[in-house]
Amino acid sequence: MTQFYTRMGDGKRVTMAKKEIMCDIEDGIADAVDMGGVPALSQNEIDMLFEIISNKNRIVGVEPGNEVVLSYDIGQLDFTGDNGNSGNGVDVGRLESALLHERALGADTFELAHADYSIKPVKPVIANEMQTMEEIQNEIVAPFFYGAMPNGGLYYAPDGPYGNPADLMREFKIEEAMTAAELTANHLAKDIEYVATRMVTAGADGFNFDTTASAGDADFVGTLKGVAALRRECPNTYIMVGMAGESVMGIHGSIEYEGKIVAGTYPHQQVVFAQKAGANVFGPVVNTNTSKSLAWNLARSVTFVKECVKVAKIPCHVNMGMGVGGIPMCETAPLDAVTRCNKAMVEIAKVDGI
Amino acid sequence: MAVPHYMASGMGGIRSAGDLVARMQFSKNMKIKDAKEYVAKKLGISTLEIADEHVMRELREELKIGVVTGVPGAPRGIAAKMNIEKILNTKINSCEKFRKMTRL
Amino acid sequence: MTDNKKALFDAMVAYKVPGIQAAVDKARKDGLSASQIIDAMGEGMTEVGVMFERGKLFLPHVLSAAQGMKNAMDVLGPELQASGDASTKRASVVMGTVEGDVHDIGKSICSTMLQCAGFDVHDLGRDVAKAEFIKEIKDGCTMCGMSALMTTTMTVQKDVIELLKQEGLRDKVIVMIGGAPVTQAYAEKIGADIYGETASETTRKAKTISE
Repeated sequence: MTQFYTRMGDGKRVTMAKKEIMCDIEDGIADAVDMGGVPALSQNEIDMLFEIISNKNRIVGVEPGNEVVLSYDIGQLDFTGDNGNSGNGVDVGRLESALLHERALGADTFELAHADYSIKPVKPVIANEMQTMEEIQNEIVAPFFYGAMPNGGLYYAPDGPYGNPADLMREFKIEEAMTAAELTANHLAKDIEYVATRMVTAGADGFNFDTTASAGDADFVGTLKGVAALRRECPNTYIMVGMAGESVMGIHGSIEYEGKIVAGTYPHQQVVFAQKAGANVFGPVVNTNTSKSLAWNLARSVTFVKECVKVAKIPCHVNMGMGVGGIPMCETAPLDAVTRCNKAMVEIAKVDGI
Repeated sequence: MAVPHYMASGMGGIRSAGDLVARMQFSKNMKIKDAKEYVAKKLGISTLEIADEHVMRELREELKIGVVTGVPGAPRGIAAKMNIEKILNTKINSCEKFRKMTRL
Repeated sequence: MTDNKKALFDAMVAYKVPGIQAAVDKARKDGLSASQIIDAMGEGMTEVGVMFERGKLFLPHVLSAAQGMKNAMDVLGPELQASGDASTKRASVVMGTVEGDVHDIGKSICSTMLQCAGFDVHDLGRDVAKAEFIKEIKDGCTMCGMSALMTTTMTVQKDVIELLKQEGLRDKVIVMIGGAPVTQAYAEKIGADIYGETASETTRKAKTISE
């Protein structure tokens, strides 16, 4: 029986027969359908996915004419960072990094980021960040954002002023935990407005909210409120909202945005909130299961993202990094796996960008 | 991971017209097909050609909208973006700030 | 499943404290033993964990169900002891996010799920020094759960396992590891006993291994 080289979700190379790959594709789709209530892929799309996964070439790509926009997060940290954020450990400046991405790496947009990459710690160094933004805007041609994680976790004890909901809940102080989450959402929204409006004043093309809802549903609501405030104050600024995970964790459980509970929502539901708040581009995320195959993970991711793109009134740039979008959870994600995920996301899920 | 993404499915930024398509997505909420058609129409070329490095290299220099290789005298930064504003019929924040500061 | 057991299961899944209390009262009135009631509630709690993982229930719901179970245990526990039935408390577990890592949401949810499953959880929080894990194990914890969200800190999980070996404690403790960059292959490589992809998977594996 013919065996195809493919990967596991942790990046390990394995061989699988056609029957095994098809079985994993169908299981991955079924899991997305079950968890997210999204429609399954058609037989034609399943066949396309198998063709992509089983392609004999090391690298695959989209057909000419199908290229999409590549918007980049984490700014210069992908050069300067350590392996904690998949950085190369090369201490280049922020201007050099921006121009290298624009001129050597084919980035369609890029961003400036703080070393901590969270909204809250930018506040004390906002003038520094504004100066650097002004400097780089004088040199760069491509859209250049400011990027940061909303990171609602920084507002809970021991980092912030509010009680930690997880700790409070273990003591059955449920109401107190929910109040802490609500206060965090409001505080986060205020900080977003403070930081983002100043960066736009410094000439930023826009703001990228990266790994939104990493601290759960209150983090998501706080970000949405912050996005709405930014949109009110800066009507023409570019806003990108990228998620942290496929489902919004219900730490509060019933906190709402515009009268709707956000906890437990999946990409095709999250995008509706983001566009209502005023985002121009939404970044859906689907997590990789390291114990499953590339076929399972990619089929599942494409099923979720396809529905998100279909429902969205704004463009969707799917998150495709280490451990998301079907890509293995591996610091040095294998080229064969990454390029297969790209092709499937563009030609089956029909994303507007990556 | 920038290299595999670009090779597999990227437009190529200022190597082609990826930055221009991105601007239309962000400024007008255009989906990829509409954004490409808009940019192609404004540049007077086809949607296939806007991601073609051979076509765009010369066109970008001709239109003075920033080129990927170091060409002395070719507009870059704010100067290139002011030309992009005219071609795409859009406003760019840094250019607006520049005009305000220089009272242009 | 009898009507009473089903009612207990359903009440747990519905996660309302008064509803759980009513189901427990009725089951006791109808003559179900303390251990039968606890078993049925435990099955309900497992289902609550599965629903949480699938985004159908949220953390306050899980804790509300756990509170209902705790209230019932306050009454049923002494009855169980009086009848000489097995202890209801599972193993003592020390939990923490390893030294140098401040990400604790996933670890906290895992601690909560373990607590709901009847484990005696000692959650040390985040950025936990290696020696603190060792101290808790010396003080009686027989399971050790370590979380790491960064590739730079996951190596500390290995360091703690090595320390356990040096202290002659490795055979006395079940080591569980988890966190975004951690994989089954890594768990095998460093000699951990359990790898948990999610909080409920970790809890399920912990229950199985401790039985």
